[in-house]
Amino acid sequence: MSLHTALVKIEGKKISSEKAKSFIISEKNGAESIVVGRVRNENDRKKVTAVTYDANDKVVIKSFQSICNDAKNKFDKNAKIFLEHAKGYVYIREISILIAVGSGHRDEAFKICRYILEEVKHQSPIWKKEHYADGKEEWLSGHSLRTKKQIK
Amino acid sequence: MEIQLKLYGSSKILSDKDTLNIQLPNNSNIEKVRDILSKIISEKHSKSNLENLPQTAAFFSEKDEVVNDNYKLKDKEFISIIPPIGGG
Repeated sequence: MSLHTALVKIEGKKISSEKAKSFIISEKNGAESIVVGRVRNENDRKKVTAVTYDANDKVVIKSFQSICNDAKNKFDKNAKIFLEHAKGYVYIREISILIAVGSGHRDEAFKICRYILEEVKHQSPIWKKEHYADGKEEWLSGHSLRTKKQIK
Repeated sequence: MEIQLKLYGSSKILSDKDTLNIQLPNNSNIEKVRDILSKIISEKHSKSNLENLPQTAAFFSEKDEVVNDNYKLKDKEFISIIPPIGGG
């Protein structure tokens, strides 16, 4: 098995970098690249305490598999890829997304990580609501799935 | 006719529930849903920064496929609103 994707309901589970490392390890790999996204404590000069991630689960999983398969076809068909994203209430410092790639060479491993991260942001129906230290909260603006021409 | 709109992301501001029932004239399409949403937002949620939502959102059918503005809706149909996305 060379591909693992999941949306992790964070109230019951955590995203584990150890699990990701175990999944991608292979004697065929010359390089492993891992990107860990965490909730940070500041955005737009506001003090953030947590982020709630909402998602259309079925479509997210389909998009994750499609993005990862595209990445393999584009950069390295033999790459091993692990992709998990959090869903639910995630405190600062906790992992929101983890992408781990094992590949024959470092260039492909870096490129696959970057490609997956950018495509997830543009294709996967996931939304963020930030919670602030002053008790306020706000859904963040994102990338529309409509083209500029379609938006009146 | 009436449709059920499954809410995601910022559109959850529109209801305390996960779905919003919308009354529409018979043979309405997605474009009509955008018009009705604009009215609902201007009448009930004018301070919520949702004024662009009706135009920037995409819509998915019950089969989770993107539907365009000409898509004809059926009575009791279940569709999802997909506001601009941004995971990671």
